[in-house]
Amino acid sequence: MRKVFAVIRREFVERVRTRAFVISTILGPVFMGVLIFLPALLAGRSTTARNIIVVDAATGEFGNRVVAALSDTRFGNKGGAQPRFHIERIVALDRAKAVTDSLTTLIGRSRGPQGGPDGFLVLTDSALATGQIDYFGSNVGSIADMSALEGTLRPVVQTERLMREHVDTSVVRRATAKIDLNTSKVTEGKLTGESGTSSFILAYVMTFILYISLLLYGIQVMSSVLEEKTSRIMEILSSSLTPFELMLGKVIGVGSVGLFQLSIWAGASLYLTANLVPILKVFGQSPDSAANISIPAISPALLAVFLGFFLLGFFLYAALYAAVGSMCSTQQDTQQAQQPVMIGIVSGFLCMFPVLNDPNGPLARTLSLIPFVAPFVTPLRYSIAPLPPSQLLLSIASTLAGVIIIVWIASRIYRVGILAYGKRPTIKELWGWIRTA
Amino acid sequence: MTQPAVRLEHVTKRFAGHTAVNDLNLEVYPGGIFGLLGPNGAGKSTSIRMMMNILTPDEGTITLFGVPGTGRELAHRVGYLPEERGLYKKMKVLDHLIFFGEIRNLSRADARKRATAWLERLGLNDWTMRKVEDLSKGMQQKVQFIGALIHEPELVILDEPFSGLDPVNAQVMKDVVVEIARSGRTVLFSTHQMEQAEKMCDRVAIIARGEKVLDGLLSEIKASSGKRNVALAFHRDAANAHPVLADRKLVVRVDDYGASAEAELAPGAASDDLLRALVASGAGISRFEVVEPSLQSIFIARVGAEAARPLAMEDAHA
Repeated sequence: MRKVFAVIRREFVERVRTRAFVISTILGPVFMGVLIFLPALLAGRSTTARNIIVVDAATGEFGNRVVAALSDTRFGNKGGAQPRFHIERIVALDRAKAVTDSLTTLIGRSRGPQGGPDGFLVLTDSALATGQIDYFGSNVGSIADMSALEGTLRPVVQTERLMREHVDTSVVRRATAKIDLNTSKVTEGKLTGESGTSSFILAYVMTFILYISLLLYGIQVMSSVLEEKTSRIMEILSSSLTPFELMLGKVIGVGSVGLFQLSIWAGASLYLTANLVPILKVFGQSPDSAANISIPAISPALLAVFLGFFLLGFFLYAALYAAVGSMCSTQQDTQQAQQPVMIGIVSGFLCMFPVLNDPNGPLARTLSLIPFVAPFVTPLRYSIAPLPPSQLLLSIASTLAGVIIIVWIASRIYRVGILAYGKRPTIKELWGWIRTA
Repeated sequence: MTQPAVRLEHVTKRFAGHTAVNDLNLEVYPGGIFGLLGPNGAGKSTSIRMMMNILTPDEGTITLFGVPGTGRELAHRVGYLPEERGLYKKMKVLDHLIFFGEIRNLSRADARKRATAWLERLGLNDWTMRKVEDLSKGMQQKVQFIGALIHEPELVILDEPFSGLDPVNAQVMKDVVVEIARSGRTVLFSTHQMEQAEKMCDRVAIIARGEKVLDGLLSEIKASSGKRNVALAFHRDAANAHPVLADRKLVVRVDDYGASAEAELAPGAASDDLLRALVASGAGISRFEVVEPSLQSIFIARVGAEAARPLAMEDAHA
């Protein structure tokens, strides 16, 4: 046992000391921070109000209502935020054509203290009837601007149409009241306190971390086996330890590096979320923009399921990577030989999309029984929909069985492979390696 | 009789297409230095790898210390220096040696103490915290060597320990090996350098093409070879001696080095006859000494007669 522990310790210490580990550990949270904060930063970003001229050629109060509604539009959905548009109204009536022609020459050219007009909106009675409202401007490419315009105009137009049909104002107000869908996730008859969006983000982040870690650390296991082979240090190792002890030590050693890194990241993200408002201040953002950040709350049970399947998946793929490393003699060999393993990991990741669509459908249920993809599928299902305990247990059992079989097969290949040099074995030869006693 | 430290009984190992070791019997008794000799490809490394349980024999049994258990289970009693040397390049020297100690069941503290002592002894104490890749090749070989010896094994198996060493390092390693043997432990090393083996070994086994050619005490092998050899050296006109050395009535075989030669006297020929003939030939003789046959000459006689360079009889008579 001391020998295995020595191997584990060596793998862990030597890896954690490398510059690559330090860099990836620091860049990980930075990357995640960007992922979380970027929407908030971007939302608060374009605080320059657009100068928009409303060319009012419509009859009645329509023009005034549009001007009032646009002037009220703010960045973000909180009161007190910056206005989105500076509005000027030109009453055009039957001269609409002449006014638009002369305005067109101004767009994006004149430079006043507030800048020239960015665009103009043409309101006519026919536009009101058909719903085809013309906007001319230099900012038509901005999706944010256009959706804000459209979103503001839609209720005003609907109200105006109803008014023109002589519907009572109070009825109109009640009919056009805003609707918001507040999503709350329910698991096993209990409210979890997670919103739909945040549990989706959580599931996505988890799957992504699993995917990256399996690839990253799996390949590390492979190249370290290859290094021991090419440097011939394997002769000394295998004269002191059994191949299984060696493989076990290596997989656990590299795996604990992965867990160590994950726990650093988890700690960092806990710290970030706990200190969200002060951090936003550092970036010069108002505390309000915290509302644009959805923080995934992770329950202890989900964490346990995730970690459990992380370990199962890691053992399965790391053992396969160790076997691949052992059967190769050069770096070039591994490029090809690792492809089947990589396909397993990538398909596990891709399973996320059908499973997200129908977490408890027959496909998802089948996938969570396949050891190669279950480490991806089952925590995902657990996080986005209630997963019956029987299915969870079944998935754990079949994955565990799969891991044991795969590790056994991989260790058989490893045992022969670590001392075999030269040409990479064919499938038939591999089968021979597995079968020889 | 004490149990042999290593015993091979009817050991055979085949690789795809050829037999590397064929029905090999070998006993290495405790204490002293045992040389496993043979030309390249004779099966020396394969035999050693089987002793270390890196390879398993197809037939036959291998016993270490006369107790059951594989080389791996007895790894803490055996030190092994493989032919192909390898170290983790990125590891610090001291850490590396501690790791080597730990996989041989030493405690961490113990391994550290011994590694430090060894590094000091071999003059590497300034390099303990440096990475292996910063060391010169000679220094790396010393680290390898320490790695094989750190757990003070009672049996040390060295596969070609002196190949690729400069004279200074070879001297250091030789001193260490001799000291191990002197302390009552067993050293087995393989080599194809006969001079080295001749100077160091008490016992040797010569193998060729996977089969044992001879083994035993070096002194007995030499005595029983039944040969009378004459060591010759010339300081001028060495070519004049060629016809004499090619005379099969006087000399059976010559190992000719140009300025010197080792000649095996023909049965019935006296050394005086050879000396008289050589003086008459006009070659300038600076050495004429009746000697025990060198291991090299025995080796070549038994393993590779074709590898020796006899003067062609026909040419000599012409």
